[in-house]
Parts: sequence; structure tokens; C-alpha cells
Amino acid sequence: MLTRRIYQFLIVYAAGLALLLGLKYLAGLSDYVIPGPSLVWQTFHDVWGRYAADTLDTLTVAVLGQVASICLATAIGIVGRQTTWFGNFVKVAAYNVQAYPIVALAPIIFILLGDGFITRLAIAAMICYFPLLLVVLGVMSEPVEEIEHFYRMTGRMRWQLEVKIRAFENLHKLTTVVAGSATLAMAGTIVAEFIAANAGIGYSIRIALYQSDLGKILIALFLIGISLSVYQALLEWAGTLVHRRWEMVEGGAVP
Amino acid sequence: MKPESRGSAAKVAEPPSPGALDCLRAIRRLMALCLLPGCLHVGTGAAAGAEPVVYRLKWLQNSSTVGDLYADVHGFFAARGLSVVVKPGGPERDAIKELELGHSHFGVASADQVIRAAAKGAPVVVIAQIFQVNPLQWIYRSNRPPIDALAQLKGLTIGITYGGNDETIMRTVLAKAGLDESDITLLSVRYDFTPFYRGRADLWPIYRNSQGIVIANRMAQSGEPVRFFNPADFGVHFVANSVVVHQRLIDTRPDLVHRFRQALLQGWQAALDEKNEARALETIARFDADTPPDLMARQLQVTRKLVRPTPDFAVGRLDVEAWRQTEEIMRARGLIPRAVDVVSRLYRPGAP
Repeated sequence: MLTRRIYQFLIVYAAGLALLLGLKYLAGLSDYVIPGPSLVWQTFHDVWGRYAADTLDTLTVAVLGQVASICLATAIGIVGRQTTWFGNFVKVAAYNVQAYPIVALAPIIFILLGDGFITRLAIAAMICYFPLLLVVLGVMSEPVEEIEHFYRMTGRMRWQLEVKIRAFENLHKLTTVVAGSATLAMAGTIVAEFIAANAGIGYSIRIALYQSDLGKILIALFLIGISLSVYQALLEWAGTLVHRRWEMVEGGAVP
Repeated sequence: MKPESRGSAAKVAEPPSPGALDCLRAIRRLMALCLLPGCLHVGTGAAAGAEPVVYRLKWLQNSSTVGDLYADVHGFFAARGLSVVVKPGGPERDAIKELELGHSHFGVASADQVIRAAAKGAPVVVIAQIFQVNPLQWIYRSNRPPIDALAQLKGLTIGITYGGNDETIMRTVLAKAGLDESDITLLSVRYDFTPFYRGRADLWPIYRNSQGIVIANRMAQSGEPVRFFNPADFGVHFVANSVVVHQRLIDTRPDLVHRFRQALLQGWQAALDEKNEARALETIARFDADTPPDLMARQLQVTRKLVRPTPDFAVGRLDVEAWRQTEEIMRARGLIPRAVDVVSRLYRPGAP
């Protein structure tokens, strides 16, 4: 799984790089517009250590942001699944908040919270929570009649059980969206760092842009892609593990 | 009318293999056509007979670009047979890249951009230097003693944009003062002035003729008058925005470059003439609706001093010594790997 993820990324990256280099040589562009292979290699040699540390810093924030967003989406999804006025209100409010582009909200967040860790975390969580929320809401609002009917008829249904049944029945969907939202968490963190933070790979990309250095940006993209591939593969692996474990331990039955 | 030396620039633009020259040329022509949507678009909308030209600014259209706007609005370009589209810039825009990609004919770039581009083989040529004094300065509160000597920077918290040219300038200033990073505190600058307002920073980088006026006004209203720290007062002359063109255009269309430059500089000269102040302000107001008229008038006054230090100064003059110093600064700070002889990239009208 991990190897597949990495080589798939390498193919995409190599194709993108080849396209850029093709454009460079066909249009006779200088290294200022698109750096040549030797300059890209030289840049890699110069910055990879620093950029790798920055990427790890960003990934750490992204992982924590994603955990926060999973908790948030789960909580809102559980409350919003109800067909009550409050459940509806929570759902609508969650959708409305998402309607504001994060780049418009980010400056306000930065002014209020400063440009440190908490702000990056908040923005990462805000960007990746919505797709999670949609799936959690969808899953939690959809009754699994054939199972729930029994518990309702016997008067044993509690909300915790209802949530458990619906999560179990849609475990594959949930783990897929969690793995997918890792990309958004990473993108959210990078956007936050790009806009105003003082650390992380997004911040380094901003500096490289100030210096019109596409070589550095290509290296940053490479490191982001690799780290994201590894993280997503780990999430997929964890998802498979959880699925298997639930099936084995519970014998496919909800406790 | 060619720059002093264009050998190195032209060399980089040439294809590597003589054998494949014709084929590459044909492909490049095709690529150029694909890469010229802006120019083609302009061509369809241009006035009959006028030659379409795209001019990419470095930043937004405001008092800092008064001459560019004035030349367009008051017919200086049209009088020379040009139909110019003046496009605003922004942080994500790079005029030099646009010139090479064929999206623009002329552009405005900072000196550090020009030198970085030259170091990477971009065949860029500077045809005019608009600002004679760099508007990038540092604002500080008047309740602290005026900075008359660089040694007074010791112990201060100074805002810089990491990677920006204010970082380069400030580090040069500090080196000149014999100070290192342990003597001061550097604070990373973002888009907002909150750290300065809250007093977390003593000095904050600012564009003297645009933001500087607005912030100084706001702080004066809240009882905190300000001063400006200008590195040029201490011998650090880092060139600011200049008008650039691709070497290819000078080689193939020297008349176009000449006409554009003449019209642009006349536009600037007229815009900065005190007699035309009302018209200049009216022109800026068309593009910058957010700045109140009184502040705009003050912005124009400061811009005038930065672009035309004396009333008889010829706008657009290339300050060769300042360019040389700018390159030396960048070289000393390790921002370019080797000397680029930036003086050879300066346009010399009438040179053989």
C-alpha cells in the first residue's frame, strides 16, 4: 500500500516536472522562469534538509488538525443527525460557516490568535472538517432499518447504540473519507502558513515566491507529496486494520 | 539603442543545438502564439492603427503608479501610436516572467527581481528607473529619539519580511552598523500592522509614499505621531521599481521600446508637475477609490520627492551606482551565486 502510494506520486511528480521542462526547452525559457534539471538538483541539495524539517512540522500540525476536525465533525454529525429543530440548526450553521472562504477568514483568525501553532491548527481543522462532516452527517442521518428496528421494538435503543450501528455499517465510507481528508488537512495547514505563519513548508514556499525561486517550490512540492503519500497510506492501513478488528472481535455483530 | 552589453543575455535565449535550430524555432513560434493570449486579446480590442501593448505593473494602481496611469489616461501612449493596457500587479505577479512568456511587452520589477533574473539567465533589460529613492522604509513612533546613527538600532525590535527585499536592506543596514542578529530582535512581518500598533515592534517596514501616509495619519489621529527610517540616509541605496523589457523586443522592435519609454517618461514628468496636480489626483482617484482625497494628495507629494528629487530632475534616469551597489549587496548576502554585471542590463538610449 505504502509503496504503491509513493510510486504513484513519483509518476505524477515526474510527469509534471517533465511537462515543465518540455515547456522550458521548447519555448527557450530561462532558469528564472523554469529552472533546468541541474538547478533543480542543486536547489534540492541546498535546501532539502531544512525543507524536510519544515514539511514534518507542517505534517504534524496537519495530523493534529485532522484529529480535531474528526472530533468536531463527529460531534456535529451526531447532533445534526436528529430531525429536531436543534439538529437542523446545527446542520445549517455548519454549512453556512463553510460558505466563507478560508482565505477571507484566515486574516481575522491570525489577528485574533497570532501567527503561532494554534492558528495553523485551527485553519487546518476548518479546511478538512467539511467533507468529513458531510459524510458523518450522511451516515448518521441514514437509519440501518434492518438492525435498528429490532432494538427499537425491544426498547433497547440508545443514542450511543444508534451511532455505533450506523458507524459500523458505513465503516468503509468513513475510513475512506478520513484518508482523503488528510490531503485537505495538509493543504489547509500550508494555506495557513502561506498566508501568515512563521513556520512550516507553506511559510518556506512564501519566501521562495518572494525570491521568485521556482526550484525551491518544486522541492517543497516533492517533499509535501512524499510525506502526504506516506501519511495517507498509513491512514488507509489503519482503516483496514480497524475494519478487520471490528469484524473479528465482534464477529460482525454490533455489541 | 541597445544596452551596454547584451551578449550574455542573448546567449541564454538561444537554442542549444544548431542542428535542430529550424525545428526549434518553428516550435517556439507555435509556443509563443500559445503563450500570448493577453497580447492577442489586446490586439482585438485595440484602437484602429494603434499598436497593442501590455504593460504589467508591480503593484496595485495607486499614487505609486501615477505616471503610468497618467500616460495612459491623458493620451501620451496614444500620441505615439500605442494602445497600452496597464495591468495592475500583485504579490503573485512577476513581470519578468510575463515578459519571457510573452504575456506582456513591458513590466515593472524591483531591482532584486531584475538581478535574480539576470543571475538565472533571463534576458531582461531595464529601460527606466522610476523611483530614485526607494520608498521601502521603516516607520517608528516619534516618542522615541530619532534615529540619527545606525548604532541606535541596537536593542530594537525590527520587522522584516523574510525573503523580501526589506530583509536584504535591513541586514545590509545592520552589517553597516556593525550589528548582528543578537544585538536586535527581528520580527516576521505579515500583511497587517497589528504587531506595530500593539508596540511589539519598534520599526516596521512600510512603503513610504502609500501605506506610510495612511498609517502615519491613523497613528497621528490616535495621538502617536511617527517618523520614518530611510536606509538611503545612511548610504544604503537599494534600487526600487524599474521598467523592464525582454532583450528580444529591443532587438526586434527598438522603435516600439523607444516610443513606449518616451511616452511613459513624459507621462510621469507631466503627472509629477505641480501644475497638473489636480489632473494627476483625478487620474489616481479613477483607479484607487479607497484612499481619501487628502491622503492621496499627500501620497502624491511624497511620490514626487521619491521619483523626482529635484524639480529639474529627468524622470526615469538609471542610477548606475545604485544598481551596482544593489548587486553588491545581493552578492554579499548570498542572494545571487555570482556577479551578473547588472550595469550591462541597463538600457542606454543612443548607445551603439
